[in-house]
Amino acid sequence: MSALPRPSALQMLHGFVVLAQKTAQTKLTYRLATLVSLLASVTSYGVYLLVWLAIYRENPRPGPLSRDEMLAYLIVAFLVNSLLVMSVELRFGQRIRSGLVASDLLRPIGFLALQMGQAAGDVLVNLVYALPLFGVGYWFFGSALLPHDGVALALAVVSIGLGFLIAFGLSYLIVQASFVLQSGYGVFFLRASLHQVFSGLSAPLVMFPRQLRAVAEALPFHHEIETPARIWLGLVAWPEALRLMAWQAAWGVGLLAAGELILSAVMRRHQVQGG
Amino acid sequence: MNTAILCEGLGKTYRRRKRKEGFWAGLRAYFSFETEELAAVSELTFRVERGESVGLIGENGAGKSTTVKMLTGILVPTAGRVETLGLVPHGDRRRLSQSIGVVFGQKPQLLWDIPARDSFELLKAMYRVPDDVYRFTYTEAVERLELGEFLDTPVRLLSLGQRMRCDLAASLLHAPAIAFLDEPTIGLDVLVKERVREHLVEMRRRFGTTIVLTTHDLKDISATCERLLVLDRGRLLYDGSRTGFEERYAEGRTLLVTLEGPLEGGARERLEQELAGEELALDFSVPRRLRIECTHATSAPRVTASVLRHLAVADLTVHGAELDAIVTRLYRNAKPPA
Repeated sequence: MSALPRPSALQMLHGFVVLAQKTAQTKLTYRLATLVSLLASVTSYGVYLLVWLAIYRENPRPGPLSRDEMLAYLIVAFLVNSLLVMSVELRFGQRIRSGLVASDLLRPIGFLALQMGQAAGDVLVNLVYALPLFGVGYWFFGSALLPHDGVALALAVVSIGLGFLIAFGLSYLIVQASFVLQSGYGVFFLRASLHQVFSGLSAPLVMFPRQLRAVAEALPFHHEIETPARIWLGLVAWPEALRLMAWQAAWGVGLLAAGELILSAVMRRHQVQGG
Repeated sequence: MNTAILCEGLGKTYRRRKRKEGFWAGLRAYFSFETEELAAVSELTFRVERGESVGLIGENGAGKSTTVKMLTGILVPTAGRVETLGLVPHGDRRRLSQSIGVVFGQKPQLLWDIPARDSFELLKAMYRVPDDVYRFTYTEAVERLELGEFLDTPVRLLSLGQRMRCDLAASLLHAPAIAFLDEPTIGLDVLVKERVREHLVEMRRRFGTTIVLTTHDLKDISATCERLLVLDRGRLLYDGSRTGFEERYAEGRTLLVTLEGPLEGGARERLEQELAGEELALDFSVPRRLRIECTHATSAPRVTASVLRHLAVADLTVHGAELDAIVTRLYRNAKPPA
């Protein structure tokens, strides 16, 4: 067999889908571990909710959102976050230290698509857990958790997809850092801290002090969580939603392009010694 | 185009931080950016035609894996030119990967937590393997490598031998034009090694696969390769046919003697006395057997005559040195580069 022609988009997509399925299958074997992680997130996020309830008890209007709007936002933000939690950095960290990354670099689907397909597999598994959680939220809060209409729903779904691109794009940059540093843990925790503060996971940006909000808006993190959550809850009109989604797309494409550029530079100078 | 691999003056020099032993030296090194260069591969020039089967051998650290990594595009050379299937591997790695298969020793490429069968399906989709090709490669691998019993077992539960067999099968499922096999039989028992070799031979016969095999087990080479590339400290020590290598470097002969009965009194001493001037080693450790390693082939007739004169011989055979012995001697005699 000689060098084959470049694959069509459909063939690439097929490879990508099978990869996502198999990654999900892999992840589903760790049922108990995933449930424990989920329980840990629900517990820690429950603390956020209690803190905000206490704040609203002391001051019924601490910002532009009412107590009910705030609770609905926090729950939707938590669900979006649960959906976009991926193991890209952890998986890759193990592979780079053990040298298994060598076979990842030799896949015709490409390194970016390989990592992204695995991340999509993570999201498939997250859906299995996020949907029942959403059901529980709906049981408590009712229609306050639902989009107002079909357009808001459609926009929110696309926005979550774009949020995935950004979340993955950031992880992909950390993967490149792992190539250089041999361990991506430091960068991973840096990103986790920035995500915690600036993604809108703990509070929407409108609740931030003015200067901190300006910083947060200049960074991509809030487009992972806050933007899809606000669009889902109808907190932004659709022209504004489209503008935000355009920003999401720009950040997503920019981060992936930056990741590819860095990968190409890293590959020129990286060293793999030993057999 | 019949050239599978072309290397001209290929080299790879690593730069690494200087490290010294001990805590204080380690602490000083932490604040220092002093580096040193290490030439892993230097001035490699060779060409491999399509369908050839090449054994790449050398001691640990000789540069075999670095060479394979440059040929596959994982490493970028620091000197020279390399082409694999007409492509510059590091420049067109993704396109090249469609047409090559790679096994990296004990680094499994299968998904750890799910059965090998699922990884095979994934590879079929990723490599866009046509159904008829997949039917053949899959069936051939399952039968030849006897994978059937454990195809549905998660890979993490497989033994080393089972996993290596699955890995080899996985790397050849898309019937690659070139198979780079970096120690594919490491840690395997004799029977499994035999199956792996048979599988390689069959894949080559069926698809004309070019094989580049690095190994420390020279029986792998004897069974599958016609050509040898011997590396020593990153340089090419020998490039030619396996038989040519044996003829060129197999200077010695081995005599295996079976005696009719126990040694008669003084026979051994008389023989040793007569052969005192020859460069050889006598081994009487097995009863009624004698093994003589002659350093030079030219001494074999004289030694044979002496043996027949002093001992009651039931059988005597003369062998050329085996590949293992030749390579061992070659490594021992190889001089470090100036």
